[in-house]
Amino acid sequence: MIVQLLGYIGSKFLNGLHSSLVVCVLIMDTLNWLFYQPLKGRGLRWRNAVEYIVEYGFHSIPIVGLISLLIGLIMGMQFAYTLQQWGVTIFMADIISIAALRELAPLMSAILITGRSGSAITAEIGTMKVSEEIDALMVMGLNPVKFLIVPKFLGMIIAVPCVTILSMLIMIAGGFIVAVGILGMDFWTYFNQTAGAIISKDLFSGMIKSVFFGLTICWVGVYRGFQVESSAESVGKMTTSSVVTSIFTIIIVDLIWTTLFYFTD
Amino acid sequence: MNNTDSEYIIEVEDLVVQYGTRSVLDGISFKVKRGEIFVILGGSGCGKSTLLRTLVGLLQPQSGKICMFGKDVTKMSDKEQIELRKSIGMCFQNSALFNSMTVGENVALPLKEHTHLADSTIEIMTQIKLDLVGLSGCANLYPSQLSGGMRKRAGIARAMALDPEIIFYDEPSSGLDPIVAAGLDQLIRKMQNTFNLTSVVVTHDLESVQIIADRVCLLNEGKIVAIGELKDMEANNDPYLRQFFTRTPNIEENQHTSVILD
Repeated sequence: MIVQLLGYIGSKFLNGLHSSLVVCVLIMDTLNWLFYQPLKGRGLRWRNAVEYIVEYGFHSIPIVGLISLLIGLIMGMQFAYTLQQWGVTIFMADIISIAALRELAPLMSAILITGRSGSAITAEIGTMKVSEEIDALMVMGLNPVKFLIVPKFLGMIIAVPCVTILSMLIMIAGGFIVAVGILGMDFWTYFNQTAGAIISKDLFSGMIKSVFFGLTICWVGVYRGFQVESSAESVGKMTTSSVVTSIFTIIIVDLIWTTLFYFTD
Repeated sequence: MNNTDSEYIIEVEDLVVQYGTRSVLDGISFKVKRGEIFVILGGSGCGKSTLLRTLVGLLQPQSGKICMFGKDVTKMSDKEQIELRKSIGMCFQNSALFNSMTVGENVALPLKEHTHLADSTIEIMTQIKLDLVGLSGCANLYPSQLSGGMRKRAGIARAMALDPEIIFYDEPSSGLDPIVAAGLDQLIRKMQNTFNLTSVVVTHDLESVQIIADRVCLLNEGKIVAIGELKDMEANNDPYLRQFFTRTPNIEENQHTSVILD
Protein backbone atom coordinates (compact mmCIF):
# COMPACT_ATOMS: atom_id res chain seq x y z
CA MET A 1 0.00 0.00 0.00
CA ILE A 2 2.67 2.45 1.09
CA VAL A 3 4.92 1.27 -1.73
CA GLN A 4 2.11 1.89 -4.21
CA LEU A 5 1.47 5.34 -2.80
CA LEU A 6 5.15 6.25 -2.95
CA GLY A 7 5.34 4.84 -6.47
CA TYR A 8 2.36 6.95 -7.48
CA ILE A 9 3.86 10.13 -6.00
CA GLY A 10 7.22 9.30 -7.58
CA SER A 11 5.81 8.75 -11.05
CA LYS A 12 3.71 11.92 -10.81
CA PHE A 13 6.82 13.81 -9.75
CA LEU A 14 8.88 12.41 -12.61
CA ASN A 15 6.10 13.24 -15.08
CA GLY A 16 5.98 16.77 -13.73
CA LEU A 17 9.76 17.06 -14.01
CA HIS A 18 9.65 15.78 -17.58
CA SER A 19 6.93 18.21 -18.64
CA SER A 20 8.72 21.15 -17.03
CA LEU A 21 11.86 20.16 -18.97
CA VAL A 22 9.85 20.08 -22.19
CA VAL A 23 8.36 23.49 -21.38
CA CYS A 24 11.86 24.85 -20.70
CA VAL A 25 13.03 23.67 -24.12
CA LEU A 26 9.94 25.26 -25.63
CA ILE A 27 10.67 28.53 -23.84
CA MET A 28 14.30 28.54 -25.00
CA ASP A 29 13.20 27.81 -28.55
CA THR A 30 10.64 30.62 -28.51
CA LEU A 31 13.17 33.13 -27.16
CA ASN A 32 15.72 31.94 -29.71
CA TRP A 33 13.32 32.54 -32.61
CA LEU A 34 12.04 35.77 -31.09
CA PHE A 35 15.34 37.53 -30.40
CA TYR A 36 18.37 35.67 -31.75
CA GLN A 37 17.30 34.28 -35.13
CA PRO A 38 15.78 37.55 -36.43
CA LEU A 39 19.21 39.14 -35.83
CA LYS A 40 20.68 36.51 -38.13
CA GLY A 41 18.34 37.62 -40.87
CA ARG A 42 15.56 35.12 -40.38
CA GLY A 43 12.61 37.41 -40.06
CA LEU A 44 9.77 37.64 -37.61
CA ARG A 45 6.25 37.08 -38.82
CA TRP A 46 4.97 40.50 -37.76
CA ARG A 47 1.82 40.43 -39.81
CA ASN A 48 0.67 37.23 -38.10
CA ALA A 49 1.56 38.69 -34.71
CA VAL A 50 -0.66 41.72 -35.39
CA GLU A 51 -3.51 39.40 -36.37
CA TYR A 52 -3.10 37.61 -33.06
CA ILE A 53 -3.01 40.88 -31.11
CA VAL A 54 -6.36 41.75 -32.69
CA GLU A 55 -7.75 38.28 -32.00
CA TYR A 56 -6.54 37.92 -28.41
CA GLY A 57 -6.84 41.57 -27.44
CA PHE A 58 -9.34 43.55 -29.46
CA HIS A 59 -11.87 40.74 -29.82
CA SER A 60 -11.85 39.96 -26.11
CA ILE A 61 -12.65 43.56 -25.15
CA PRO A 62 -16.47 43.13 -25.09
CA ILE A 63 -16.46 40.18 -22.68
CA VAL A 64 -13.60 41.44 -20.53
CA GLY A 65 -15.19 44.92 -20.45
CA LEU A 66 -18.59 43.61 -19.43
CA ILE A 67 -17.24 41.34 -16.70
CA SER A 68 -14.95 44.08 -15.38
CA LEU A 69 -17.87 46.47 -15.17
CA LEU A 70 -19.99 43.93 -13.30
CA ILE A 71 -17.15 43.17 -10.89
CA GLY A 72 -16.67 46.93 -10.34
CA LEU A 73 -20.37 47.27 -9.50
CA ILE A 74 -20.31 44.24 -7.19
CA MET A 75 -17.21 45.50 -5.35
CA GLY A 76 -18.79 48.95 -5.05
CA MET A 77 -21.92 47.62 -3.45
CA GLN A 78 -20.13 45.18 -1.14
CA PHE A 79 -17.64 47.74 0.15
CA ALA A 80 -20.23 50.51 0.44
CA TYR A 81 -22.47 48.25 2.51
CA THR A 82 -19.63 47.27 4.84
CA LEU A 83 -17.97 50.67 5.13
CA GLN A 84 -21.11 52.71 5.79
CA GLN A 85 -21.41 51.03 9.21
CA TRP A 86 -18.44 53.18 10.25
CA GLY A 87 -19.44 56.12 8.08
CA VAL A 88 -16.35 55.96 5.91
CA THR A 89 -18.00 55.00 2.64
CA ILE A 90 -15.57 57.23 0.76
CA PHE A 91 -12.77 54.72 1.38
CA MET A 92 -14.39 52.36 -1.08
CA ALA A 93 -12.58 54.41 -3.71
CA ASP A 94 -9.24 53.31 -2.23
CA ILE A 95 -10.22 49.68 -1.84
CA ILE A 96 -11.66 49.31 -5.31
CA SER A 97 -8.74 50.93 -7.08
CA ILE A 98 -6.14 48.95 -5.14
CA ALA A 99 -8.00 45.66 -5.61
CA ALA A 100 -8.55 46.28 -9.31
CA LEU A 101 -4.99 47.39 -10.08
CA ARG A 102 -3.14 44.83 -8.03
CA GLU A 103 -5.20 41.70 -8.46
CA LEU A 104 -8.63 41.63 -9.95
CA ALA A 105 -8.07 43.25 -13.33
CA PRO A 106 -4.93 41.23 -14.23
CA LEU A 107 -6.47 37.98 -12.95
CA MET A 108 -9.88 38.38 -14.56
CA SER A 109 -8.40 39.42 -17.91
CA ALA A 110 -5.95 36.54 -17.87
CA ILE A 111 -8.59 33.98 -16.94
CA LEU A 112 -11.02 35.20 -19.57
CA ILE A 113 -8.32 35.25 -22.26
CA THR A 114 -7.31 31.72 -21.20
CA GLY A 115 -10.87 30.58 -21.80
CA ARG A 116 -11.16 32.39 -25.10
CA SER A 117 -7.71 32.08 -26.63
CA GLY A 118 -5.61 29.66 -24.58
CA SER A 119 -8.05 26.92 -25.48
CA ALA A 120 -8.02 28.06 -29.11
CA ILE A 121 -4.22 27.85 -29.26
CA THR A 122 -4.28 24.26 -27.96
CA ALA A 123 -7.08 23.24 -30.29
CA GLU A 124 -5.37 24.81 -33.29
CA ILE A 125 -1.97 23.25 -32.69
CA GLY A 126 -3.54 19.93 -31.68
CA THR A 127 -5.63 19.77 -34.84
CA MET A 128 -2.61 20.69 -36.95
CA LYS A 129 -0.69 17.88 -35.30
CA VAL A 130 -3.46 15.35 -35.94
CA SER A 131 -3.75 16.33 -39.61
CA GLU A 132 0.06 16.17 -40.07
CA GLU A 133 0.24 19.90 -40.82
CA ILE A 134 3.09 20.34 -38.33
CA ASP A 135 5.03 17.58 -40.11
CA ALA A 136 4.28 19.27 -43.42
CA LEU A 137 5.78 22.51 -42.08
CA MET A 138 8.91 20.70 -40.94
CA VAL A 139 9.35 18.86 -44.25
CA MET A 140 9.10 22.21 -46.04
CA GLY A 141 11.98 23.45 -43.90
CA LEU A 142 9.75 25.86 -41.99
CA ASN A 143 10.28 25.90 -38.24
CA PRO A 144 7.00 25.39 -36.33
CA VAL A 145 8.29 27.53 -33.45
CA LYS A 146 8.94 30.48 -35.72
CA PHE A 147 5.84 29.90 -37.74
CA LEU A 148 3.24 29.03 -35.12
CA ILE A 149 4.49 29.90 -31.65
CA VAL A 150 6.39 33.19 -31.90
CA PRO A 151 3.49 35.14 -33.47
CA LYS A 152 1.10 33.81 -30.83
CA PHE A 153 3.63 34.62 -28.13
CA LEU A 154 4.02 38.21 -29.31
CA GLY A 155 0.24 38.49 -29.62
CA MET A 156 -0.27 37.33 -26.04
CA ILE A 157 2.38 39.44 -24.32
CA ILE A 158 1.07 42.56 -26.05
CA ALA A 159 -2.67 41.82 -25.90
CA VAL A 160 -2.97 40.70 -22.27
CA PRO A 161 -1.43 43.87 -20.70
CA CYS A 162 -3.49 46.11 -22.99
CA VAL A 163 -6.72 44.35 -22.08
CA THR A 164 -5.67 44.47 -18.41
CA ILE A 165 -5.30 48.27 -18.45
CA LEU A 166 -8.76 48.58 -19.93
CA SER A 167 -10.15 46.18 -17.37
CA MET A 168 -8.59 48.24 -14.54
CA LEU A 169 -10.26 51.42 -15.83
CA ILE A 170 -13.65 49.77 -16.26
CA MET A 171 -13.58 48.20 -12.78
CA ILE A 172 -12.85 51.59 -11.24
CA ALA A 173 -15.64 53.06 -13.39
CA GLY A 174 -17.97 50.44 -11.92
CA GLY A 175 -17.09 51.76 -8.48
CA PHE A 176 -17.86 55.29 -9.69
CA ILE A 177 -21.31 54.22 -10.87
CA VAL A 178 -22.16 52.82 -7.44
CA ALA A 179 -20.67 55.73 -5.48
CA VAL A 180 -21.84 58.65 -7.60
CA GLY A 181 -24.93 57.18 -9.28
CA ILE A 182 -26.43 55.18 -6.43
CA LEU A 183 -24.99 56.57 -3.22
CA GLY A 184 -25.02 60.17 -4.49
CA MET A 185 -21.43 61.09 -3.58
CA ASP A 186 -19.89 64.14 -5.18
CA PHE A 187 -18.08 63.15 -8.39
CA TRP A 188 -14.94 65.20 -7.79
CA THR A 189 -14.59 64.12 -4.16
CA TYR A 190 -14.74 60.49 -5.24
CA PHE A 191 -12.40 61.19 -8.19
CA ASN A 192 -9.80 62.84 -5.96
CA GLN A 193 -10.05 60.02 -3.44
CA THR A 194 -9.43 57.46 -6.21
CA ALA A 195 -6.58 59.46 -7.72
CA GLY A 196 -4.97 59.75 -4.30
CA ALA A 197 -5.20 56.00 -3.71
CA ILE A 198 -3.53 54.89 -6.91
CA ILE A 199 0.23 54.66 -6.64
CA SER A 200 2.53 53.73 -9.47
CA LYS A 201 3.71 50.58 -7.72
CA ASP A 202 0.18 49.12 -7.86
CA LEU A 203 -0.12 49.83 -11.55
CA PHE A 204 3.38 48.55 -12.20
CA SER A 205 2.88 45.29 -10.30
CA GLY A 206 -0.42 44.70 -12.09
CA MET A 207 1.19 45.23 -15.48
CA ILE A 208 4.19 42.99 -14.76
CA LYS A 209 1.83 40.27 -13.65
CA SER A 210 -0.28 40.57 -16.77
CA VAL A 211 2.78 40.16 -19.02
CA PHE A 212 3.67 36.95 -17.20
CA PHE A 213 0.06 35.77 -17.36
CA GLY A 214 0.28 36.25 -21.13
CA LEU A 215 3.45 34.13 -21.27
CA THR A 216 1.76 31.45 -19.20
CA ILE A 217 -1.35 31.27 -21.36
CA CYS A 218 0.71 31.01 -24.53
CA TRP A 219 3.19 28.41 -23.33
CA VAL A 220 0.65 26.20 -21.58
CA GLY A 221 -1.60 26.37 -24.66
CA VAL A 222 1.22 25.48 -27.02
CA TYR A 223 2.60 22.76 -24.75
CA ARG A 224 -0.79 21.08 -24.40
CA GLY A 225 -1.32 21.42 -28.15
CA PHE A 226 1.88 19.55 -28.90
CA GLN A 227 0.88 16.85 -26.40
CA VAL A 228 -2.10 15.89 -28.56
CA GLU A 229 -1.87 12.30 -29.80
CA SER A 230 -3.32 11.50 -33.17
CA SER A 231 -7.03 11.54 -32.39
CA ALA A 232 -9.84 14.05 -32.25
CA GLU A 233 -10.71 12.94 -28.72
CA SER A 234 -7.23 13.87 -27.58
CA VAL A 235 -7.68 17.41 -28.97
CA GLY A 236 -10.73 17.88 -26.75
CA LYS A 237 -9.01 16.42 -23.71
CA MET A 238 -5.91 18.57 -24.11
CA THR A 239 -7.98 21.71 -24.69
CA THR A 240 -9.78 21.19 -21.39
CA SER A 241 -6.49 20.39 -19.71
CA SER A 242 -4.92 23.51 -21.23
CA VAL A 243 -7.52 25.79 -19.60
CA VAL A 244 -7.26 24.10 -16.20
CA THR A 245 -3.45 24.03 -16.18
CA SER A 246 -3.28 27.57 -17.44
CA ILE A 247 -5.57 28.98 -14.73
CA PHE A 248 -3.72 27.01 -12.07
CA THR A 249 -0.35 28.26 -13.31
CA ILE A 250 -1.65 31.83 -13.51
CA ILE A 251 -2.63 31.70 -9.84
CA ILE A 252 0.82 30.31 -8.92
CA VAL A 253 2.53 33.05 -10.93
CA ASP A 254 0.28 35.61 -9.22
CA LEU A 255 1.26 34.23 -5.81
CA ILE A 256 4.96 34.43 -6.66
CA TRP A 257 4.79 38.02 -7.93
CA THR A 258 2.62 39.16 -5.01
CA THR A 259 5.20 37.71 -2.63
CA LEU A 260 8.02 39.40 -4.52
CA PHE A 261 6.29 42.77 -4.66
CA TYR A 262 4.75 43.04 -1.22
CA PHE A 263 6.50 40.60 1.10
CA THR A 264 10.18 40.94 0.29
CA ASP A 265 12.42 43.88 0.92
CA MET B 1 22.38 21.16 -54.12
CA ASN B 2 25.69 20.20 -55.63
CA ASN B 3 24.97 16.94 -57.32
CA THR B 4 27.46 14.20 -57.58
CA ASP B 5 27.12 12.28 -60.81
CA SER B 6 26.44 9.11 -58.91
CA GLU B 7 23.67 6.96 -60.30
CA TYR B 8 22.04 6.77 -56.89
CA ILE B 9 20.30 9.78 -55.41
CA ILE B 10 19.25 8.18 -52.10
CA GLU B 11 21.35 5.60 -50.32
CA VAL B 12 20.15 3.98 -47.11
CA GLU B 13 22.45 1.74 -45.12
CA ASP B 14 21.65 -0.42 -42.08
CA LEU B 15 18.88 1.84 -40.90
CA VAL B 16 17.53 1.05 -37.42
CA VAL B 17 14.56 2.91 -35.94
CA GLN B 18 13.10 2.08 -32.55
CA TYR B 19 10.13 3.32 -30.60
CA GLY B 20 11.32 2.79 -27.04
CA THR B 21 12.80 -0.70 -27.08
CA ARG B 22 10.63 -1.97 -29.96
CA SER B 23 12.43 -2.08 -33.29
CA VAL B 24 10.26 -0.79 -36.10
CA LEU B 25 12.95 -0.81 -38.76
CA ASP B 26 15.74 -3.30 -38.38
CA GLY B 27 18.74 -3.00 -40.67
CA ILE B 28 17.17 -1.54 -43.81
CA SER B 29 19.47 -0.94 -46.80
CA PHE B 30 18.51 0.14 -50.31
CA LYS B 31 19.44 2.59 -53.03
CA VAL B 32 17.20 4.73 -55.21
CA LYS B 33 18.34 5.61 -58.73
CA ARG B 34 18.06 9.13 -60.10
CA GLY B 35 14.82 9.62 -62.00
CA GLU B 36 13.06 6.37 -61.09
CA ILE B 37 9.85 5.68 -59.22
CA PHE B 38 10.78 3.54 -56.24
CA VAL B 39 7.84 1.92 -54.47
CA ILE B 40 7.99 0.78 -50.85
CA LEU B 41 5.35 -1.91 -50.36
CA GLY B 42 4.19 -3.58 -47.20
CA GLY B 43 1.25 -4.46 -44.99
CA SER B 44 -0.13 -2.26 -42.24
CA GLY B 45 2.27 -1.81 -39.36
CA CYS B 46 5.28 -3.15 -41.27
CA GLY B 47 7.17 0.11 -40.77
CA LYS B 48 6.82 1.61 -44.23
CA SER B 49 5.40 4.91 -43.03
CA THR B 50 8.10 5.03 -40.36
CA LEU B 51 10.69 4.49 -43.10
CA LEU B 52 9.29 7.39 -45.11
CA ARG B 53 9.17 9.69 -42.07
CA THR B 54 12.78 8.79 -41.28
CA LEU B 55 13.85 9.50 -44.86
CA VAL B 56 12.40 13.01 -44.81
CA GLY B 57 13.89 13.68 -41.38
CA LEU B 58 10.75 13.69 -39.23
CA LEU B 59 12.16 10.79 -37.19
CA GLN B 60 15.74 10.26 -36.07
CA PRO B 61 17.18 6.80 -36.69
CA GLN B 62 18.94 5.00 -33.81
CA SER B 63 21.70 3.98 -36.17
CA GLY B 64 22.49 3.70 -39.85
CA LYS B 65 23.07 6.11 -42.69
CA ILE B 66 20.76 7.99 -45.03
CA CYS B 67 22.57 9.72 -47.88
CA MET B 68 20.76 12.08 -50.23
CA PHE B 69 22.65 13.80 -53.03
CA GLY B 70 25.72 12.08 -51.62
CA LYS B 71 25.49 13.67 -48.16
CA ASP B 72 24.63 11.97 -44.89
CA VAL B 73 21.32 13.48 -43.78
CA THR B 74 21.62 12.30 -40.19
CA LYS B 75 24.84 14.28 -39.66
CA MET B 76 23.71 17.54 -41.25
CA SER B 77 23.64 20.90 -39.50
CA ASP B 78 20.32 22.74 -39.23
CA LYS B 79 21.24 25.02 -42.09
CA GLU B 80 22.19 22.18 -44.42
CA GLN B 81 18.95 20.42 -43.52
CA ILE B 82 16.89 23.45 -44.50
CA GLU B 83 18.78 23.59 -47.81
CA LEU B 84 18.09 19.88 -48.32
CA ARG B 85 14.40 20.34 -47.54
CA LYS B 86 14.14 22.79 -50.43
CA SER B 87 15.11 20.04 -52.86
CA ILE B 88 12.70 17.42 -51.54
CA GLY B 89 8.92 17.48 -51.47
CA MET B 90 6.48 15.32 -49.57
CA CYS B 91 2.82 14.44 -50.14
CA PHE B 92 1.15 13.29 -46.96
CA GLN B 93 -1.46 10.58 -46.67
CA ASN B 94 -4.20 13.02 -45.75
CA SER B 95 -2.53 15.71 -47.85
CA ALA B 96 -1.86 17.85 -44.73
CA LEU B 97 -2.85 21.10 -46.43
CA PHE B 98 -3.04 24.08 -44.07
CA ASN B 99 -6.74 24.36 -43.42
CA SER B 100 -6.60 28.02 -42.52
CA MET B 101 -5.18 28.96 -45.94
CA THR B 102 -6.61 28.72 -49.45
CA VAL B 103 -5.19 26.17 -51.88
CA GLY B 104 -3.29 28.94 -53.65
CA GLU B 105 -1.78 30.20 -50.39
CA ASN B 106 -0.80 26.64 -49.51
CA VAL B 107 1.15 26.25 -52.73
CA ALA B 108 2.62 29.75 -52.46
CA LEU B 109 3.83 29.27 -48.87
CA PRO B 110 7.15 27.50 -49.59
CA LEU B 111 7.87 30.04 -52.33
CA LYS B 112 7.14 32.97 -50.03
CA GLU B 113 9.24 31.58 -47.20
CA HIS B 114 12.23 30.27 -49.13
CA THR B 115 12.62 32.66 -52.05
CA HIS B 116 12.76 36.42 -52.48
CA LEU B 117 10.46 36.50 -55.49
CA ALA B 118 7.96 39.30 -56.03
CA ASP B 119 4.35 38.56 -55.12
CA SER B 120 3.27 38.73 -58.76
CA THR B 121 5.88 36.13 -59.77
CA ILE B 122 4.81 33.86 -56.92
CA GLU B 123 1.22 34.16 -58.06
CA ILE B 124 2.14 33.08 -61.58
CA MET B 125 4.24 30.18 -60.32
CA THR B 126 1.42 29.04 -58.04
CA GLN B 127 -0.93 29.10 -61.01
CA ILE B 128 1.52 27.02 -63.08
CA LYS B 129 1.81 24.39 -60.35
CA LEU B 130 -1.96 24.19 -59.96
CA ASP B 131 -2.40 23.85 -63.75
CA LEU B 132 0.15 21.05 -63.68
CA VAL B 133 -1.93 18.94 -61.29
CA GLY B 134 -5.22 19.86 -62.93
CA LEU B 135 -6.57 22.27 -60.33
CA SER B 136 -6.56 25.43 -62.44
CA GLY B 137 -9.65 27.12 -61.01
CA CYS B 138 -9.18 26.13 -57.39
CA ALA B 139 -6.63 28.66 -56.10
CA ASN B 140 -9.16 30.55 -54.01
CA LEU B 141 -10.92 27.54 -52.50
CA TYR B 142 -10.18 26.27 -49.01
CA PRO B 143 -8.97 22.68 -48.54
CA SER B 144 -12.25 21.76 -46.83
CA GLN B 145 -14.09 22.64 -50.05
CA LEU B 146 -12.11 20.09 -52.09
CA SER B 147 -12.74 16.38 -52.59
CA GLY B 148 -10.20 13.82 -51.35
CA GLY B 149 -8.59 13.39 -54.76
CA MET B 150 -8.36 17.14 -55.37
CA ARG B 151 -6.76 17.59 -51.94
CA LYS B 152 -4.10 15.03 -52.82
CA ARG B 153 -3.46 16.87 -56.09
CA ALA B 154 -3.15 20.15 -54.20
CA GLY B 155 -0.71 18.39 -51.84
CA ILE B 156 1.37 17.38 -54.87
CA ALA B 157 1.28 20.95 -56.20
CA ARG B 158 2.55 22.22 -52.85
CA ALA B 159 5.29 19.58 -52.71
CA MET B 160 6.31 20.62 -56.25
CA ALA B 161 6.35 24.33 -55.43
CA LEU B 162 10.12 24.66 -55.13
CA ASP B 163 10.83 22.30 -58.06
CA PRO B 164 12.35 19.56 -55.91
CA GLU B 165 14.47 16.73 -57.26
CA ILE B 166 13.01 14.06 -55.02
CA ILE B 167 9.37 13.72 -54.09
CA PHE B 168 7.96 11.39 -51.44
CA TYR B 169 4.39 10.12 -51.55
CA ASP B 170 2.74 8.58 -48.48
CA GLU B 171 -0.12 6.29 -49.57
CA PRO B 172 -1.18 8.42 -52.56
CA SER B 173 -4.15 6.23 -53.49
CA SER B 174 -5.53 5.45 -50.03
CA GLY B 175 -9.12 6.46 -49.45
CA LEU B 176 -9.81 7.22 -53.13
CA ASP B 177 -12.16 5.56 -55.59
CA PRO B 178 -10.48 3.54 -58.40
CA ILE B 179 -10.97 6.21 -61.07
CA VAL B 180 -9.49 9.02 -58.99
CA ALA B 181 -6.71 6.72 -57.79
CA ALA B 182 -5.85 5.82 -61.38
CA GLY B 183 -5.77 9.52 -62.25
CA LEU B 184 -3.37 10.11 -59.41
CA ASP B 185 -1.12 7.26 -60.59
CA GLN B 186 -1.05 8.90 -63.99
CA LEU B 187 -0.13 12.21 -62.41
CA ILE B 188 2.77 10.61 -60.51
CA ARG B 189 4.00 9.11 -63.80
CA LYS B 190 3.60 12.44 -65.59
CA MET B 191 5.60 14.27 -62.94
CA GLN B 192 8.42 11.78 -63.27
CA ASN B 193 8.41 11.90 -67.09
CA THR B 194 8.18 15.67 -67.39
CA PHE B 195 10.66 16.73 -64.73
CA ASN B 196 12.82 13.61 -64.42
CA LEU B 197 11.77 13.56 -60.77
CA THR B 198 12.91 10.83 -58.46
CA SER B 199 9.86 9.54 -56.64
CA VAL B 200 9.63 7.38 -53.54
CA VAL B 201 6.11 6.03 -53.07
CA VAL B 202 4.84 4.20 -50.00
CA THR B 203 1.74 2.17 -50.70
CA HIS B 204 -0.06 -1.13 -50.24
CA ASP B 205 -2.14 -0.73 -53.39
CA LEU B 206 -0.98 -3.50 -55.76
CA GLU B 207 -2.84 -2.11 -58.75
CA SER B 208 -1.14 1.25 -58.65
CA VAL B 209 2.21 -0.51 -58.17
CA GLN B 210 1.71 -2.19 -61.55
CA ILE B 211 1.31 1.20 -63.19
CA ILE B 212 3.86 3.40 -61.48
CA ALA B 213 6.68 1.24 -60.15
CA ASP B 214 10.10 1.14 -61.76
CA ARG B 215 11.48 -0.78 -58.83
CA VAL B 216 9.78 -2.21 -55.75
CA CYS B 217 10.89 -3.03 -52.24
CA LEU B 218 8.70 -5.18 -50.01
CA LEU B 219 8.87 -4.68 -46.24
CA ASN B 220 7.70 -7.06 -43.55
CA GLU B 221 8.15 -6.62 -39.80
CA GLY B 222 10.81 -3.97 -40.24
CA LYS B 223 12.96 -5.92 -42.67
CA ILE B 224 13.25 -5.94 -46.43
CA VAL B 225 11.80 -9.15 -47.90
CA ALA B 226 12.69 -8.47 -51.51
CA ILE B 227 13.88 -5.62 -53.68
CA GLY B 228 13.98 -5.28 -57.46
CA GLU B 229 11.87 -4.77 -60.56
CA LEU B 230 8.30 -6.05 -60.68
CA LYS B 231 9.19 -8.98 -62.92
CA ASP B 232 11.83 -10.09 -60.38
CA MET B 233 9.10 -10.03 -57.77
CA GLU B 234 6.96 -12.39 -59.79
CA ALA B 235 9.84 -14.81 -60.06
CA ASN B 236 10.62 -14.63 -56.32
CA ASN B 237 9.37 -17.50 -54.17
CA ASP B 238 9.52 -15.96 -50.72
CA PRO B 239 6.35 -17.14 -48.91
CA TYR B 240 5.42 -13.68 -47.53
CA LEU B 241 5.97 -12.08 -50.91
CA ARG B 242 3.81 -14.69 -52.65
CA GLN B 243 1.11 -14.23 -50.03
CA PHE B 244 1.24 -10.45 -50.44
CA PHE B 245 1.09 -10.46 -54.23
CA THR B 246 -1.63 -13.10 -54.43
CA ARG B 247 -3.64 -11.36 -51.69
CA THR B 248 -3.96 -14.54 -49.58
CA PRO B 249 -5.30 -14.00 -46.06
CA ASN B 250 -3.52 -15.39 -43.02
CA ILE B 251 -4.97 -18.68 -41.77
CA GLU B 252 -7.16 -18.28 -38.66
CA GLU B 253 -4.76 -18.94 -35.79
CA ASN B 254 -2.04 -16.83 -37.44
CA GLN B 255 -4.50 -14.02 -37.93
CA HIS B 256 -4.96 -13.86 -34.18
CA THR B 257 -1.24 -13.46 -33.52
CA SER B 258 -0.84 -10.90 -36.30
CA VAL B 259 -3.53 -8.73 -34.70
CA ILE B 260 -1.56 -8.76 -31.47
CA LEU B 261 1.66 -7.92 -33.29
CA ASP B 262 0.05 -4.92 -34.96
